[in-house]
Amino acid sequence: MDPQSLITLAQVLLGVILLLVAVNLYLVFRFREIDPFAKWNPNTINPLMFLAFFVFGMIMVFVLQNVYKEYMTITYNAASIHGEKIDSMFWITMYVSIFVVVVTNSLLFWYPWKYRTRPGHKAIHYSHNNKIEIIWTVIPAIVLTLLVARGVVVWHDIMSEPPKDAVQLEVNGKQFAWTVRYPGADLEFGTTSVQYIDDATGNDIGFNFEDRRGHDDLITQEIHLPVGKPILLNIKSRDVLHSATLPHFRVKMDAVPGMPTSFWFTPTKTTAEMRKIRGDEDFNYEMSCQQICGAAHWNMRRVVVVETEEEFNNWLKSQKPFYATWKEVTGSSTGGVAEVSAEAEEGTMAAN
Amino acid sequence: MATEQLHVQAGEGHGHDHHDHYHGNFWTNYVFSTDHKVIAKQFLITGILMAIIGIGMSTIFRLQLAFPDMDLSFLSPLLGKWVDGGSLDPGFYLALVTMHGTFMVFFVLTAGLSGTFSNYLIPLQIGARDMASGFLNMLSYWFFFASSVIMLVSLFTAGGPASGGWTIYPPLSALPQAVSGSGIGMTLWLFSMTLFIVSSLLGGINYITTVLNLRTEGMSMDRLPLTIWAFFLTAVIGVLSFPVLFSASLLLVFDRLLGTSFYLSDIYIGGELLHYSGGSPILFQHLFWFLGHPEVYIVLLPALGITSEIVAVHSRKPIFGYKAMVGSILGIAILSFIVWAHHMFVTGMNPFLGTVFMLFTLVIAVPSAIKAFNYIATLWKGNIQFNPPMLFAIGLVSFFITGGITGIFLGNAALDIPLHDTYFVTAHFHIVMGSASAFGFFAGIYQWFPKMFGRMMNARLGYIHFWFTFISLYCVFFPMHYMGMGGVPRHYYSFSAFNFSEGFMDLQSFITTAAIVGFVGQFFFLANFFGSIFWGRKLTEETKNPWKATTLEWTTPVNPGHGNWPGAIPKVYRWAYDYSKPGVKEDYILQTVPDSDIEYEEGFVPPKAPEVGKPQVEIEKEEVDD
Repeated sequence: MDPQSLITLAQVLLGVILLLVAVNLYLVFRFREIDPFAKWNPNTINPLMFLAFFVFGMIMVFVLQNVYKEYMTITYNAASIHGEKIDSMFWITMYVSIFVVVVTNSLLFWYPWKYRTRPGHKAIHYSHNNKIEIIWTVIPAIVLTLLVARGVVVWHDIMSEPPKDAVQLEVNGKQFAWTVRYPGADLEFGTTSVQYIDDATGNDIGFNFEDRRGHDDLITQEIHLPVGKPILLNIKSRDVLHSATLPHFRVKMDAVPGMPTSFWFTPTKTTAEMRKIRGDEDFNYEMSCQQICGAAHWNMRRVVVVETEEEFNNWLKSQKPFYATWKEVTGSSTGGVAEVSAEAEEGTMAAN
Repeated sequence: MATEQLHVQAGEGHGHDHHDHYHGNFWTNYVFSTDHKVIAKQFLITGILMAIIGIGMSTIFRLQLAFPDMDLSFLSPLLGKWVDGGSLDPGFYLALVTMHGTFMVFFVLTAGLSGTFSNYLIPLQIGARDMASGFLNMLSYWFFFASSVIMLVSLFTAGGPASGGWTIYPPLSALPQAVSGSGIGMTLWLFSMTLFIVSSLLGGINYITTVLNLRTEGMSMDRLPLTIWAFFLTAVIGVLSFPVLFSASLLLVFDRLLGTSFYLSDIYIGGELLHYSGGSPILFQHLFWFLGHPEVYIVLLPALGITSEIVAVHSRKPIFGYKAMVGSILGIAILSFIVWAHHMFVTGMNPFLGTVFMLFTLVIAVPSAIKAFNYIATLWKGNIQFNPPMLFAIGLVSFFITGGITGIFLGNAALDIPLHDTYFVTAHFHIVMGSASAFGFFAGIYQWFPKMFGRMMNARLGYIHFWFTFISLYCVFFPMHYMGMGGVPRHYYSFSAFNFSEGFMDLQSFITTAAIVGFVGQFFFLANFFGSIFWGRKLTEETKNPWKATTLEWTTPVNPGHGNWPGAIPKVYRWAYDYSKPGVKEDYILQTVPDSDIEYEEGFVPPKAPEVGKPQVEIEKEEVDD
């Protein structure tokens, strides 16, 4: 017998013994007609338990807050400009909430103790008070108006038009991976469409290579971003809904088949800087999927690297355009591409 | 049938022989009964069974989440091929999540809660012999039953049940190639929900008609107990919103079976290009949440109504701010229809819509705050009796505050960007909608069990059950806020793929342990509930109003027959909250007691000699003066 099953056996035995003791006690009390809890007054114990629960709960809330602070990715250390605004908004809302919850819950758990029933105690007949009701309608209304006003401003900033000089990249969701694309040297994406998708040749976002703008497009394994430059993230899906989420940058937008979406933001901290801040040499920014998309929904990771503009440009240069890889795989230069007429190109652009 | 109904409603003068109309056999008395009290019990028992299954599913997937290395093959007699190799199949994990949501939201907290208490209390508390249509009411239950059976059957299909989340967003839910549950499992889901919607509409129309037309003499709308106001407006919300879910489902059925493209466009999946073109998955989300958000209030409002009644009864005080309470239920009911797109801030919807929906969403916090304040003010200077229903009612208010406040974060579009689809959302709605409504359900059961079965439930088991449930629910759902603030995503089968979600495994195991403890604690309730039906302390004519409440249901005999009152339907002379009136002998006055019959303490001079024939005027005046 190995030790593990011995321990299990001991646990089972202990359980059985405890159960027998409990049954035994119950039977003894039952037949002797003794009520061991007769003196326990539910009208004292229950309100006391409420108070104890409240005090202990409050302590635990703040203990856990400190224990898990370093893991709170989306409320501390935002790595983008708008992310910092969101964080400050979050904490303002949090302080208001903590105040409200503590005050109301204190009363909720204190009154049961204070006004518990006992001999000679009576309730008053008091059905309403217009003045106080107006006060506690108006004050929440004002506080919420202030929060909404601030929320609208921040939301409007985040959703504004991206700057013209934003660095473009595209993420394409599929079951179960993100395909990352950069526009290459011409800074323009080639047209893609689901009808050209051919997984066998690795063309999993459906390049139409009749459009020459696609010839220098890069398909990369990692997402690289230059620090301090606005980034326009174009988001697409070829099958079901996905959601492109970069938690450290407070970025999230669904990928919708048939409807391209986008999100723009400006990273403020390079990966190296963030590693220093967090004191974690292995730290990496990550991109995930956060819209339920199938069995391996949980496993759509892409590493995100934020670096200086120079490093970023060097990295871009080191990447090989997808068209070149594709030609090797298919073993042909697809004759037609070279002599594509301007007319045909216009045609595909219109279709796009 | 129709003539019998007329007899019932005619009421007066039916006296002793009324019971004879209802002599039926076993089938008409217990199975296809048209008595609202029997139908309510049918809803209750079915709801409890569905709850056991729904909560059981959550404990299974919580095990997988917290202890990914644990050998789960001991579950193979139950789950078969889905636990091959000792851990849960990732696709089946999603199926369990989906079914947990569907069971709890629709079958337990919509049909179970409304079906039980709207059915049971509306006729009893407004003074009616039965629902406006007992026959439709019976159909409502049996449609619900059929719907439950079909949903249960879907658990046993080869591809597994629906697994696209309880919100069944297409394209995932439309394409069997995307996830195996979207095959026959999803077809059964849609069929089951269609029957469910029929059931819900039949019930809702009945509740509305009954409240509007069958109130007894003197029971004006401003004398209704708050339970009835809540059930009434819940029914209105349901009748207006469920048909939209039906339309949404119908279009989804077309996409799945007839090849239309309402929700689908440009899809390449499973190595194959699909023909769909021009549809929009966003359209489905709008239609779904047009039901989905009001649905939250369909779940919550009955629980709040039950709490209003219980807090007043056990504090021996009138509910504070009756009119404000009615007003805020009304406000919530109206606003619930114009906040739906706050579930869709980051779906690619036009950002301007985000602004509009953020405004309305935060407005809805005001009536909610009023309700919370009024509950607390009702406790103030009360004479609080700690009976099991009261404990659950206080617990509900606590959940309502703690869970409601995080709605201010999620309703703010800017904050929703990082928080959307993280455990912060899971924490929010499990506390404010799940736990609060479940507590409303429990509170209601403990409160009206004596009326339903003529016996008391065991109070001590009730206390144990309460503390198990209250503490474990907080332990399960509160820590999820921290995980949400860490960005940990919902619906993840494993947290090992990402660095940012790895740090919370201790908390995950704590949550699962608390969930299992809480689940085990429910056996105290089940034992108490089913045991007390047979062996609980019997009520007598003297003790038939165990909580000393003022409402009409306690004026019926201990075991009311079909028709509720053996004699004439009682007349109502006052509102439902005359507790602890100064100078009155008892600390409550039944709604049926006219001013001339009030027993005052010796030596107490009533403020004004009651004028016979004008009792209503006095009461209304007094309310204004206060």
